[in-house]
Amino acid sequence: MEWTMTLNEPGKVCLMQGNEAIVRGAVEAGINFAASYPGSPSSQILGMLGKIARERGFYAQWATNEVCALEACIGTSLANARSICIVKQNGLLCTADALHCGAQHGVKGGLVIVTSDDPSAHSSTNEFDSRFMAMSADLPMLEPTTMQEAKDMVPYAFELSEQYRQMVLLRLTTRVCHGRSNVTLGPLPEKPRALRKVDEWERLVCVSYRHTPMLETLDSLQEAFEACPYNHYSGPGQPKKLIVAGGTGRLYAEEALRRLGETDKVGLLSLASLWPLPEKLIVRYLQHAEDVLILEEVDPFLERNLQAIAGKNRFHIRFAGRGDGALPRIGELTPELVLAAVSSLVGKSLPKRAAAPREPLLERELNFCAGCPHRATFHLLRRALRHEKNPGVVIGDIGCYIMSSQEAGHYAYQACNCMGSGINLAEGLGQLTAYGLEQKVVTMCGDSTFYHSILPGLINARYHDSNMLLMVLDNSATAMTGFQPHPGTGITAMGDSVAPMEIRPICEAMGCKVAEADPFELEKTEALMTELLQEPGLKVLILRQPCATLKSKQQRTKPKVWVDQDKCLGDGCGCDKFCSRVWGCPGNSWDFTKNKAVIDPVSCVGCGVCAKLCPAGAIMVEGGEKA
Amino acid sequence: MLSSYALDSQVIQKELCTGCGACQGLCPYWGSSRGRTICYYDCERSDGRCQHFCPRMPTDLAALQKKAFPDETVLPELGPYRALYLARAADPEIRGGAQHGGAVSALVELALREGLIDGALLTRAKDTLDPAGVMVTDPDEVRRCSGSSFQIPPTLAVLNEALREDRLRRIGVVGTPCKTLAVCKMRYNPLPDNDNHAGNIRLVIGLFCGWGLDWDGLEALTKRSAPSGAGHVDIPPSKYHSIEFAPRGGGETVSVDLDEVLPLVRPACRACADMTAEFADLSVGGARSADGWETDKKWNQIIVRSKTGEELVALARSRGILEFKDVPDTALDKLKKASLGKKRTAVRTLRERCGGLGYLAPNEALLPLD
Ligand SMILES: Cc1cc2nc3c(=O)[nH]c(=O)nc-3n(C[C@H](O)[C@H](O)[C@H](O)COP(=O)(O)OP(=O)(O)OC[C@H]3O[C@@H](n4cnc5c(N)ncnc54)[C@H](O)[C@@H]3O)c2cc1C
Ligand code: SF4
Ligand code: SF4
Ligand code: SF4
Ligand code: SF4
Repeated sequence: MEWTMTLNEPGKVCLMQGNEAIVRGAVEAGINFAASYPGSPSSQILGMLGKIARERGFYAQWATNEVCALEACIGTSLANARSICIVKQNGLLCTADALHCGAQHGVKGGLVIVTSDDPSAHSSTNEFDSRFMAMSADLPMLEPTTMQEAKDMVPYAFELSEQYRQMVLLRLTTRVCHGRSNVTLGPLPEKPRALRKVDEWERLVCVSYRHTPMLETLDSLQEAFEACPYNHYSGPGQPKKLIVAGGTGRLYAEEALRRLGETDKVGLLSLASLWPLPEKLIVRYLQHAEDVLILEEVDPFLERNLQAIAGKNRFHIRFAGRGDGALPRIGELTPELVLAAVSSLVGKSLPKRAAAPREPLLERELNFCAGCPHRATFHLLRRALRHEKNPGVVIGDIGCYIMSSQEAGHYAYQACNCMGSGINLAEGLGQLTAYGLEQKVVTMCGDSTFYHSILPGLINARYHDSNMLLMVLDNSATAMTGFQPHPGTGITAMGDSVAPMEIRPICEAMGCKVAEADPFELEKTEALMTELLQEPGLKVLILRQPCATLKSKQQRTKPKVWVDQDKCLGDGCGCDKFCSRVWGCPGNSWDFTKNKAVIDPVSCVGCGVCAKLCPAGAIMVEGGEKA
Repeated sequence: MLSSYALDSQVIQKELCTGCGACQGLCPYWGSSRGRTICYYDCERSDGRCQHFCPRMPTDLAALQKKAFPDETVLPELGPYRALYLARAADPEIRGGAQHGGAVSALVELALREGLIDGALLTRAKDTLDPAGVMVTDPDEVRRCSGSSFQIPPTLAVLNEALREDRLRRIGVVGTPCKTLAVCKMRYNPLPDNDNHAGNIRLVIGLFCGWGLDWDGLEALTKRSAPSGAGHVDIPPSKYHSIEFAPRGGGETVSVDLDEVLPLVRPACRACADMTAEFADLSVGGARSADGWETDKKWNQIIVRSKTGEELVALARSRGILEFKDVPDTALDKLKKASLGKKRTAVRTLRERCGGLGYLAPNEALLPLD
C-alpha cells in the first residue's frame, strides 16, 4: 500500500494499517527528518518512510540505535526541522537519558516520538508501558485508537510540539500498529518545511534552571488537553457508572456496551491525551460516579492517576481495572475480557454463546527457521562447552538467537537481560574467573546488535581483558524485525550504497583477538570454539553464514535433500531420531508409520547440514547451488 | 531406564566411569574430552549399546565368563587360567621402545603379519600427553604404539567405529582390564538386533592394571617432573613407592614419590576389581621375580587364558619372536595376592560410594568379602 502514502487526493478513503497511517501522517505533516532503530511492532514505519523519502524531500535513516535516532532528531530540530523518531518500548527506554534531558531543554522544530508498546509481548521479551516514561520525563503523550486518529494525531502532535517547544510522544500498541481500517487522506504539503539557520544565540541546553519552565510548559499542555479534540465522552451527562478507556480499550468498551444495551446508561470517557491528564475533564465525569471501570494497556496507569484525582477531590468511588483484579494484571485486553468486566460493572450478563469450534492448535515452541545458521552455532556451542570440565556460563542477548533459550538452542543460556547487555554480563563474570569462578564464560550478539550496543561493552571488556568469548552471529541481516539494513550491510534506509563497516577490523582495531568461522563447517568450527575457550582473555569469534530466509530469497534452485530409507536407523540404537529429535530443523520430519526419518521438501532449504550430522549417512543431498 | 540417564546416574555421577570408550563411537550422543566421558545430548532409548557394553553397568560376570571361556579352568583370584609365562620380545628394538619386555608389541606384530588379525586397536602413547586410540593395520606401525599411557584414552570408541564400518573382519584389541571386559560384553552379550559386527573381534590382549591417572593431573605432574616431556613413565613394584619419569631424548630418570601420585588416581580405578584383565585371551604385565626390578622391568609375565591365546604364544615361541625364562614357584601366588588386594579395595570403595556393591552386585559370590 506504499502508493497511498504519497497519494495527493485529499478526502480519498484508503484502507490502512496503523503503521501506514503514521507514515501518511508524517508525510502530511511535512517532516524533514526521520530516524529509527527497528523494533516490532513499529518496524515498518521507517522502512516505508525510507522508500518515499527522496520523493517527498526528507531524509530517513535506520540509525545504529535508538539513542542515535532520537539525538539526531533533536539536532535537526535546532534547524527548525520537523523530525519524527520511531522506537519500540525497549528502544524508548534506551533513550531515557536523552529523553529526560531533551524535555528539559525542549525543541525548536517539531519533534514527535512514536513509541510502540507490545502488550502480551507478542514480539518482545517483556511488556512495558511507555506512559510512565512520559510521566517521568514530564513530556506530553497522545494515544490513538483508530487508524484515522493515528494519521491525524501526527500533524496534531507536531503542532503541539512547535507551539509548546516540547517533544511529543505518540504511543501505539501492537493492535493499532498492525490493525487495519479506513483512513480519509488529508492534503499533502507542497514541499517540506523550510529549514532555518541556527542563530548564534539559539540554545537547546539541558541545565537545571530549565526545570521550572519545563513544568510550566507541562501545565500549559494540561490546560490545552482539557480541549483536546481526540478525547471523547458519550453517555449520560452525570454518569453513575463510568468507563474510562485509553487506546484499544475504547473500541472494546463501545462493543460491550452496545451488546449489553447499556450505551445510554453508562458513561464512556476515552482519553487520547494520556499525559498530562486533563484533570478538569476527568473530574466533570468522575464527580457523580459510583463505579468506574478503567480499560487500558497494560499497567494501571490511568487507574492509579484517577484514584489520585478522586482522592484529592474526596470522591467515593469503587474503581475496577488492572490494579484491583477486575482485569488481568498482565497481557493484552481482549473483547472477551472487556465484555466480562463491563458486564460486572453493569450487573448484567449476556447469554453464553456456544464458542465456534476451533481446530486444535499444536503446542509448539519457537524454533529457528529451516537452514538457520544459529541452529548449527548452538549445536556446536553445546558440544564445545561439554568438553569443559565444568559447565560453562552462557549469556544471551536480543535477536533471533534469543530462541536458543529453548529447545531450538538446547537451552543455551543462563541469563539474558536487554539488548546489548550480554557482553557486559559476561564481562563481569569473566573477571571473576581470576577470583575462583572455574567456568568458561560465553556470550553472543547478532551483527545488528553488535553495532547497536555491543561496542561500548566490547571496549570495556577488551580494556579490562575480561576472560570471555564473544560470539558474533553474523547473518548479514537484522532478521528478527524484517531485514532492515545496519552499518555492516552497505545499504541505507533510502536505498543508497555506502561503504560497509566490517565487524572484524573494528574488533581488531580495538585490539581484540578475533577468529572467524562458518557454523556449517561443523568439525572445524567446533574445534576452533573448543580451542578459543581454552585461551585466556577476551576472544571474539565471528560466525558467518547468511540468514536462511535471506539466502532462500536469493537462491534460484535449492538442493534436493532426502532420506535413504534403507540406511536410516530411525529410532534404533545408533541414532534415536537424531535429525528430527535433537537437531530439530523444521525440514527434518518423521514418518510415524515407518519409524524412519523423512525430509519435508517444503520446509527444507537444502543447507545440507543434517546430512553431515546423520550418523548413518542416510541423508542425501543432490544438486542446487552449493550451500 | 533411558540409556543416557542410566550411564550418567549409575556410572558417571558415581565416579565409576573408566573412560574406556565402549559407549562412544556408536552414535552422536556420547563423546569424550581429556579422559572425561561426555553426553552431548540425552538419548531416549532405553536399551542401547552404550549401557549394554559399559563395563561399569551391572553384569553377571560368572555367566559372561561361562559364555566366553566355556572350557577353561577358572581361578577365583585370577579368572580363566591356562598358563603363566615369563617372556620378552626377542627383538631388542621392540624391547627398547616397549613398556616392559615388549611381549605385547611382539605378539600383535606377529598376529598382523600372519594374518591372524587384519587390524589391531592400540594406543598411541609415546611422547604425548594427548594419547589416542588407533586402529593399526600395518605391522610396522605396531612398535610405534608401544609403551603405556596412564591417562587411559577412550580407545574403544575407535573400535566401535571400525566395527560399524565392517571393513576389517579380524580385529585384535589391546586394552586395560576395564576395556577387555567391555569388549567381552560386546562379543558375548551383544544386543540381539544390533551386534555392531562384534563377531569381527578375534583376539583380545589385556594389560595388567593397578590404576590409571587423571588426565589433567598426570599432565601437570609430567610437566613438573620432566619439563622436556616424558619419554617413558613406569611404576616400579610397591616397595619403591614411586613413579618414574624418563625424560624424552634421554637423561636422568626422575622418581616422584607415590604420595604425590595417588591423589591423581582416577576415582573409577579404585572401584575396579580386575587387575589381570580376566576377560582377555592373554593378559600381560610387568615381571616380578627374584632378579629384582632392574631386570624385571625388561620382562613380562603373561597369563594365557584361552585357546586363541595359547596358540598365539606357541606360534611366537616357534618363530622365536618371544624369549622365555623360568617362572619362579612363588609367582602365581604373588599374582593372586595382588589381584585379591585390588578386589578388596574395589569392594571397600563401592560400599563407600554406592552403599553396596554397585555394578559388582550380581557377583557377590565371586568377591572377597571380609
Ligand atoms: C594404565 C595402566 C596401568 C598399568 N598398571 C600395571 C600394573 O600395575 N602392573 C603391571 O604389571 N602392569 C601394568 N600395566 C601394564 C604394563 O604397563 C604393560 O603394558 C605391560 O606389562 C605390557 O608390556 P609390554 O612391554 O609388552 O608393552 P608394549 O609392548 O609396550 O605394548 C603396550 C601396549 O599397550 C597399549 N597401551 C598403552 N597404553 C594403553 C592404555 N592406556 N589403554 C590401552 N592400551 C594401551 C599400547 O598401544 C601397546 O600396544 C599397566 C598398563 C596401563 C596402560
Ligand atoms: S539422523 Fe539419519 S539415521 Fe538418524 S533418523 Fe535421521 S536420517 Fe535416520
Ligand atoms: S538440509 Fe537438513 S538441515 Fe538443511 S534445511 Fe534441509 S532438512 Fe534442514
Ligand atoms: S548407544 Fe544407542 S542407546 Fe546409547 S546413546 Fe547411542 S543411540 Fe542411544
Ligand atoms: S566406563 Fe566406559 S562405557 Fe562406561 S560410561 Fe565410562 S567410558 Fe562409557
